[in-house]
Amino acid sequence: MWRKIILFSVMVILTSVIFAAPVTIQFWHAMGGTDRIQLLQNLAKEFMQQNPDIKVDVQYTGSYTDTMTKMIAAVRAGNPPDLVMIYDIGTQMMIDSGVIIPIQNMIDKDPTFDINTLVSASRGYYTVGGKLYSLPFNSSNPVIFYNKTLFEKAGLNPNNPPTTFEEFMADAQKLTVKDSSGNTIQYGFTFGSGEPLAWFFEQFMAVQNALLLNNNNGRDGRATKAVFANEAGLRIFNFFNDMIQNGSAINAGPGWDNARQIFISQRAAMLITSTSDVNMMVKAAKSGNFSLGVMFLPHPSGVPYGGVIVGGASLWMVNTHNTQREEATWKFLKFLESVDAQIQWSTGTGYFPVNKNSIIKLMYEGYYAQNPPYLVTVLQLLMSNVTPATSGGVTGAFPQIRIAVNDAFGKMFTKAMTPQQALQWAQDQANQAIANYNSLY
Amino acid sequence: MKKSQKKILKTILIEIALIAVSIIILLPIFLALTMSLKRPSEVFVYPPKIFPDSFYVQNYISAFNSINLGRLMLNSLIMSIAIMVGKTIFGIFSGYAFSNFKFKGSSLLFAALFVTLFMPAEMIMIVPLFQIMQSFHWVNTYWALTVPFLASATTTFLMRQHFMTIPKELEDAAKIDGAGPMRFLFEILVPLSKSTIGGIAMINFVYAWNLYLWPLVVTNSNNMATAQIGLKMLTNVESTSNWGVIMAGTLMVLGPTLILFFAVQKLFVRGIITTGLKE
Amino acid sequence: MSRKIFPYLLLIPTFLIVVIFIYYPAFQTFKLSFYKMSPFGNRLFFVGLGNFWSLFTSGQYVQSAYTTLIFVTVTVVAGLTISLFLALLLNQRVPGIGIFRTLIFAPYAVSPAVAGTLWAFLLSPVAGYVSYLFLVLFKSQPQWLTSYPLALIAVMIATIWKNLGFNIIFFLAGLQSIPQSYYEAATIDGANASSRLFKITIPLLSPITFYLIVMNVTFTAFSAFATIDVMTQGGPANTTSTLIYKLYQDGFVNFNTGFASAESVILILIMTVFTYLYFKFGQKAVFYQ
Repeated sequence: MWRKIILFSVMVILTSVIFAAPVTIQFWHAMGGTDRIQLLQNLAKEFMQQNPDIKVDVQYTGSYTDTMTKMIAAVRAGNPPDLVMIYDIGTQMMIDSGVIIPIQNMIDKDPTFDINTLVSASRGYYTVGGKLYSLPFNSSNPVIFYNKTLFEKAGLNPNNPPTTFEEFMADAQKLTVKDSSGNTIQYGFTFGSGEPLAWFFEQFMAVQNALLLNNNNGRDGRATKAVFANEAGLRIFNFFNDMIQNGSAINAGPGWDNARQIFISQRAAMLITSTSDVNMMVKAAKSGNFSLGVMFLPHPSGVPYGGVIVGGASLWMVNTHNTQREEATWKFLKFLESVDAQIQWSTGTGYFPVNKNSIIKLMYEGYYAQNPPYLVTVLQLLMSNVTPATSGGVTGAFPQIRIAVNDAFGKMFTKAMTPQQALQWAQDQANQAIANYNSLY
Repeated sequence: MKKSQKKILKTILIEIALIAVSIIILLPIFLALTMSLKRPSEVFVYPPKIFPDSFYVQNYISAFNSINLGRLMLNSLIMSIAIMVGKTIFGIFSGYAFSNFKFKGSSLLFAALFVTLFMPAEMIMIVPLFQIMQSFHWVNTYWALTVPFLASATTTFLMRQHFMTIPKELEDAAKIDGAGPMRFLFEILVPLSKSTIGGIAMINFVYAWNLYLWPLVVTNSNNMATAQIGLKMLTNVESTSNWGVIMAGTLMVLGPTLILFFAVQKLFVRGIITTGLKE
Repeated sequence: MSRKIFPYLLLIPTFLIVVIFIYYPAFQTFKLSFYKMSPFGNRLFFVGLGNFWSLFTSGQYVQSAYTTLIFVTVTVVAGLTISLFLALLLNQRVPGIGIFRTLIFAPYAVSPAVAGTLWAFLLSPVAGYVSYLFLVLFKSQPQWLTSYPLALIAVMIATIWKNLGFNIIFFLAGLQSIPQSYYEAATIDGANASSRLFKITIPLLSPITFYLIVMNVTFTAFSAFATIDVMTQGGPANTTSTLIYKLYQDGFVNFNTGFASAESVILILIMTVFTYLYFKFGQKAVFYQ
């Protein structure tokens, strides 16, 4: 009898040792594009080689909004992943979701993670009420790409790009070319409307160090009002509207691609877009036989320069009530933020590294010397002052605000409203959306 | 002699018209085709270039390999065929019930079904539907991909509309011959309705093949993902995508549908099937 | 088997699916239309008719209803007319007809999002193919995607194009079930091509036409959001935002479940009225052999 019991116990212990199931964590991300999917898979593979007891299940879950939809369905059915990538403007919704673990909690428990290695601007964006909620992963900001060859043709100095709104508008007009029948065959400036345009608006507010929302952009307490219908906001509306109405800029339509197409095909001399495009812009300039320049966002003259806001997405840890899985997730997160992982990610995609040491290492290796456009994208961010305005706004109503701002631009471009009216209308819409969201909490 | 010449002339005119119409309609797809054969650097040149410099087949290879498109297409095929078969057969049954039988509550039941035509189903119901899947333990299985779509008002409504155009005399004759309602359906109605059934099967297939948001929400692994999710995987967020590869993927995903349609359209040959009694 | 219960048996599979997977979720949606809910569902407040009130008092929603009416009417009428013409052409027995049918069907097989992408490429300002063509041929540069009403027209064209295959399939199937003998008899009576079309073909196609009208209304009113999203995102200034696009935005961009549910309920109510009208008057207008 005893022998049987002992034998049985030994077997149980043996099997549990041999078959100690490695812990599996689910990671959902929105990084489409063949290279990026591969890059993330490879990073996970590398991590699993270093940590054979952890299995990372990397799952592509559609666009940012698709990922949010899937996340909501999963949370409501009680089966969320361990780690999920959520876009910048989803920050407040995630904080309010009640299912996440603020990254700050993990950092406070783990002395091996130095929070100061995070690029201040990225860290600032995801810090609300003094607490870091998620880890930035793919960070970007907007820059203006310009065609140096066309600058030269127009008699402008390609190495002295405009820095103020006024210079920018004057140059845009000089860069506009019409054919004999009066059709514009080359525009000074182009941009995508829809979500990008609303994002640019937010950026130009930060450039003027102006807040979008009250309570210090919602960082000292829940934002209750939009505050962008002011001088600063009006300058931006006029900036875009003047160029559209005098024909020196072309609205490329919703999304990013049409505007890029116009710029790459050299039908426009300047383009505002995301820094994560730098990779493909450099290639396009090479094959299109023009010389590419990158400039900082211009600012209205006389207004002190603030900075730009970090865009992109961050990684959120979900509370699974399973310490083993949470620890494994945290380990994986630390790996993704490490110097080498960030270098792989950044050089492979065009997003800038969120680890300061990755930037330093890349610089010593001569990467930025060889690729000046990459330097500009990083510099613009590092030269930004970290203020509530440049940290960006947080509110759960952000998607509605973007729609309202873009609609307001449309109303202004089609002359249904004056810039002043459009701006005020957008703010009223934003206030309604904010009040509606806040009434839940 | 003269008559046959006239016929040839007519054929030529029709062919010309068909070619002209096809060119106009296919322009966007032709654009996709040429784009799929361009190098990344050729996609955005100005003036827009119609033909690529050389056939850059690499786009097809990288679209197929980078996302394991073969597996994804297989999943899509399993899902679409199951939905096509289920929807079509159940639709024939219920359409037949509404067109050829008088029974208590028939108009009420029909109205109850008809209303669901107008429910933007996958859109409004994702979350509650997903909760059902979770409680059935169907998440990440073929069940979740197929069962909720196995029957629809669309097919029922069409089959009813169609069966009502078939002369009642046929049914009376069949009854006299002693054929039961099931035999009448399969031996007379279905053969008479080949083209309509072919059409609806085709539509149901395309519907399932193009589902995107539901498969995305309900699958959690690349082994269960579908081709439409694969196409989305080819698209970059926040930066320019490689349009050559995306279009190559799009055309490959279009392939099975077009092959199937080419086979099915043979059913639309005018004048071969007759409506029996009326002639 | 008793003839009495037979039709019910035939209906079981369909109703089983519809009740579990459509009615039950629809009921949930109906319930949520009276609530305000946080995106993740952890906050839920009863607001009565509050969501409906907010929608009707926002000018945007009413404007979307108006846009939908124009969009659906033009798209369905133009789409069906073009499709009927094409179906008559494709119903001829000439060499290679199978290939032509497959080619003209092809747009239907394209997913709505891809259809939007292709048209956005063609109509892209300045650098797009159509824009370039207009510059060369007409010396003008219409801004297809960013001006009113061109943006709406562009979305209509893309939607009609996308739906051609669907309509043609069923017109072809309908044409095929018209007995050849009718035409022969009419020809003997001296009827010309156009009177054969209006006196025989169109009346006999009425059941299928009716089906197609219903399906096209459904499709353009309820499924065209992906195309709109890619081409115009409802712009410029909300002029291409239809009711379903608003619903999509509220449900899947803003994650405002209360609004999205209320909007669904409104759509279902509108269509219930149509259903009632159909049972009251519609059935008489359809000609059965």
